Amino acid sequence: MIDFLIGLFLATLIVALFTSRLYRLILWYSMNSLILGLLALFMGTALDDRAMLITGIATILIKAIGIPYLLKNLGAKFHFVRQIQPEIKVQYAIILIPAILVFTFYLAEPITHMIHGNANYIAISISSLFLSLLLMMEHRNVAPKIIGFLSMENALFLLGITATDGMPMLVELGIFFDLLMAIVVINLLFHNEEANL
Amino acid sequence: MITYLLTIVVLVLIAPLLLDFIKAFKMLLLYKRPVSLFQGYRNFAKLMQKETVISSESSAITRVAPFLVLSPLLVTLFFLPPVVQGAFYVSFVDAFTITGLIALSTFFLMLLGLDSASAFGGMGSSREAFIAALVEPAMVLTVFSVSMMAGDLGVGQAGVNLAAHFPKEHMASFLFAAISFFILLIAENGRIPVDNPETHLELTMVHEAMILDLTGVYLAIIESAASVKFVIFASLFASLFMPFGLQYAAPVAFGLFIVKLFVIAAAVAVIEVNTAKLRLFKVPNLLGIAIVFAFLSLITFYVLGA
Amino acid sequence: MMLTLLVLPALIMFFVSFSQHPKAKFLLPVSSFAILLPIIELFVLPKPYAIAGSYLVADKLDTYILLVSSLVGIGVTLALLTLDKHVRVTAKAYRRFYRFFAIFWVGLTVSILANHMGIYWIGLELATLSTVYMIKTNHTRAAHKEAWNYMIVGAIAISLVLFGIILMYASAKPILGEDAMRFDLLLSHAKEIPSPFLFEMGFAIATVGMFVKMGFFPMNLWLANIERASFYPVAALFSGILESAVIIGFFRFSEIAKEVNYAHLFGFVFVYTLLTIFIVSFLIFRAKDFMRLFSLSGIEHMALIALFWVSGGTFAALLHFGAHAFLKPALFLSTGVLESKGKYRIAGALRGYHGKKGTLFWFLVSLFLLAIISLPPSPMFFSELYGFGAMIETAKHSDHMLAMIAAILLLLILLSVIFYRFVAIYQSMKYEGKEEEKKVYTSELFALVIFALCLVALLLPASLDYLRSIA
Repeated sequence: MIDFLIGLFLATLIVALFTSRLYRLILWYSMNSLILGLLALFMGTALDDRAMLITGIATILIKAIGIPYLLKNLGAKFHFVRQIQPEIKVQYAIILIPAILVFTFYLAEPITHMIHGNANYIAISISSLFLSLLLMMEHRNVAPKIIGFLSMENALFLLGITATDGMPMLVELGIFFDLLMAIVVINLLFHNEEANL
Repeated sequence: MITYLLTIVVLVLIAPLLLDFIKAFKMLLLYKRPVSLFQGYRNFAKLMQKETVISSESSAITRVAPFLVLSPLLVTLFFLPPVVQGAFYVSFVDAFTITGLIALSTFFLMLLGLDSASAFGGMGSSREAFIAALVEPAMVLTVFSVSMMAGDLGVGQAGVNLAAHFPKEHMASFLFAAISFFILLIAENGRIPVDNPETHLELTMVHEAMILDLTGVYLAIIESAASVKFVIFASLFASLFMPFGLQYAAPVAFGLFIVKLFVIAAAVAVIEVNTAKLRLFKVPNLLGIAIVFAFLSLITFYVLGA
Repeated sequence: MMLTLLVLPALIMFFVSFSQHPKAKFLLPVSSFAILLPIIELFVLPKPYAIAGSYLVADKLDTYILLVSSLVGIGVTLALLTLDKHVRVTAKAYRRFYRFFAIFWVGLTVSILANHMGIYWIGLELATLSTVYMIKTNHTRAAHKEAWNYMIVGAIAISLVLFGIILMYASAKPILGEDAMRFDLLLSHAKEIPSPFLFEMGFAIATVGMFVKMGFFPMNLWLANIERASFYPVAALFSGILESAVIIGFFRFSEIAKEVNYAHLFGFVFVYTLLTIFIVSFLIFRAKDFMRLFSLSGIEHMALIALFWVSGGTFAALLHFGAHAFLKPALFLSTGVLESKGKYRIAGALRGYHGKKGTLFWFLVSLFLLAIISLPPSPMFFSELYGFGAMIETAKHSDHMLAMIAAILLLLILLSVIFYRFVAIYQSMKYEGKEEEKKVYTSELFALVIFALCLVALLLPASLDYLRSIA
C-alpha cells in the first residue's frame, strides 16, 4: 500500500509538471499533499508512532486543504495569470524528466544496499525534489513557482518520514511553523504589490 | 481449447455493445435519454444491406484495405491472455508483436484514408500517423514493463503469472504502467481528449476523417474494426492491470471479466464527459505523459525494484 | 535566562517598532549594546555551556561568531538611525523594517548557537523569510522583483539544506536515535556512522544549499542583484550576520564530514571554491557600482574562508571570517553616504567631505577599502598567509603537492586581479570626478568607528590566542 501511495505521489508531481493551467496545478499540488498525508498516516500506524499520525493529519489539513484554498483565493483576488505555459517544451520535458529520474535513481542506488526495507523511498523523494526544482524552473510566473516551492517542501517531508522513520517532533513543528510563515510572507508580498501599483 | 475459441467469439460479439455502452452511459450522465445498447448491431445489419459506392478516383487499395484493417486485430484477439484459469492461451507473443499488429492495422487505415484522394482523408491520415507515432513507443514500454514484473516476456504468460502471483512489491511501477496504459487506451481508440468519434467537425476529427468516403460493407467492417480494437485494449487492461478473479469457476471468472470490461468502458465514459477535447497540438502533451510514465515504470522496476 | 538576555535587544526592537513615537528609535542602539553583556558572560563561563538543554550550546566557536555578529548588529542598528536621511522611505515601512530586522536577528542568534541541526535550520529559515520583507521595504519595481527572487531562490537553498540535514540524520539514526540531530554527538561518533555514503550525500546537498545562499557558483550574481535593489543596511546584515550563521553551519557540518571522509570533503570544497573565485574575480573586474563590487568581493572572501577551513587552517579561516564580518558591513554602510549623489558614480565618491566628521569618514573608508584587499596591516593579510600555509601543509602529506602549488598560484593571480580592480576604483574615487558636498551623520560614523576598533581588537594577541585555542 505504501508503495502504491509513493507511486501516486510521484505520479501527481509528474502530471503537475505538464499542467498548463493554474487551478489544475493547485489541484495536483493538493492531491500530492493529500497522498503525502495518507502516507504519513499509514506509516504512522505501521510504526505505531503517534507523532507521525499528528503530522499526517496536520499535513492533510494544512497542505491539502488550507494552502490550496488560500492560494486559489489569492489568485482570484490578485488576478494571477492562469494560463501558465511551461517554458520547457513538452518534447524536451519528455526527455528531461526520465533523465532526471534515472540520474537520481542511480544516485540513490548505493543507499539501497545500506538501508534495509524502504530504500527506494529515498530515491523517489530525491527525484521529487529535483522535479519540483524543475517545476520552479519551467515557469516564469510567480504562482507556479510558489507551488514548486511548496512541492519541494512536500518532497522534504516525504524524505523525513520515509528515510528516518519520522523526525523529532520539535523539528517537524518548526518546519510547519516556517511553512506558515512563508505563506504569510507571500501574502504580504502580494498585498504590498497591490498597494504599490 | 473450447473456452479459448468461445472467449474470442464472445469478445468479437460484445465489441459493438461496449462502444454503445460508453455512448449510452455518457448520455445518461448528461441527462439525455440513452441510446439503445444494441444500436451498434442494428447499424451493422443496415450497413451490410446498403449499396457500396466506391469513388472513381480510388485505386484497388480501397477494396482491399478494410479487410487488412480488420484482420490484424482479429489475429491479435488470439494472443490475448486467458480469462479463465486453465484455458488455452498463446504464451510466446510479446509486446512488440501485439503493438506491431495494431500498428499494421493502423497503417492500412491510414492508407485507406489517403487512397480516397479527398482532402479529409489525407488530413485524417496525417493526424493518425502523428498520434500513432507517439503511442507505439509508450505501448511497447508499458507492456514490456508489465511483462517484466510478471516475469515473462510473453503477454499471455504475463497475464497468467500476474493472476497467480500479484507483484505487491512492485506496486509503484505497476501503478505507473497502469496510468500510462490507460492514457494509451484513450488515445489509440480515439476517445475524447484525443479525438471525438461522434462528430464530423473538420477541425477535430481524426478517425472519422479517414473513413469519410466509405460506404456499405466497407464501412461496417471498419466500424467493427474500431470496436474490436477497443475490446483488445480493454481486455489487455483487464487482464494485465486487474489480474484477479481467474481462480473462480469458469462461468464466474468469465462473467467477472466481462464486468471488468464494462467498468473500463464506464471509466472511459466518465473521462469523456469530464474533459474537453484537446487541441491537436496539445495531444503530444498527453502522450508525453504516457511515455514518461511508461519509462518511469520500467526504470523504477529495474533500478529500485519497487 | 541566558537565552532571554541574548534575544532581549531584538525583542525590544520588535516591540519598539510598534511605537509611533518618532524618537523611539533612538532607544534601540542603546538597548542593542546590552547584548554584549551576556556574550561577555559566555566568554567567561566554562565551555561548552548549555543555554537551553542540548539544543542551544555555547562553545568556543559559536561564542566567537556570536560576538562578531552581535557587534555587526549593533553597528547596523546605529547606522539604521539615519536611513531616512539617505534614502526615501515611509515611516510605516521604516518601522516594519525594524520589526523584520528583529525577527531576523532572533532567528540567526538561535541558529548560531544551535547544537541541533533542526534548530539550526529553523533559525535560518526564519531569518530568510524575514529578509524577504526587509528587501521589500524599498518601494521600487526592482526591489519587488528581487524580493520574489530572494523568496524563491532562498527557499530553494534552504530546502536543499534541510534535505541534506534529513539525509545526515538518517545516516546516523541507527546508532544515535533521535540524538542524531546533535552536532556534538555526531562529531564524536562520526567514525561509527553506518552508512557514510548517505552522510556524504547529505553533506554535499546541504553544502550546495549553503553555498547557493552565500552566492557561490552558479548563483554568483544573485546576491549582488538583491543587495543592489534593496537598502544598504540589508546588504550589511547579509554580509555580517546571515553569512555568519550560514558559515557556522558549514563549519559544523564539515567538521563531521572531515571525520567521515576527508579526501572527498576536501576535493569537493576545493573545486567548488576555486571555481567560484575564478568566476567572481572576473565579475569584480567588470563591476560598475559599489554594491555589486562589495557583494562580489564578499562571495570571494566567503569562498576563501570555506577553503581555509577545510584545509585545516581553522585559525586562518576564523581570523579571515572576523575581519570580513567587520569590514564588509562597514563598507556596505558607508555606501549609503558614498552613493548619496548618484548611485553608479564611482569617480569622486570619496571627495567633498568637510569638517572633522567628513575627514574621519573618508579616512576610515579608505582604510576599509584597502584592508579588504589584504594590504599588510589588515587582519586579512595575516589570515591569507596562514591559510595558504595550511593549504601547503595539507598537501605535504599527500602526493598532490604540485597541484596544490599550482592552485595557490592561480588563487594569487585571481586575488591580484581583484586587488588591481580595487586599487583602480580607490584612485578613481579619490582623484577623479567632481567634488560634491556630502553629509555624514554622527551615528553612522560611530558605527564605522566601532567596526574599526573591532578590527584592531581582532589583532590583539589575546584575541589571536583565543582563535588559536578554538582549533
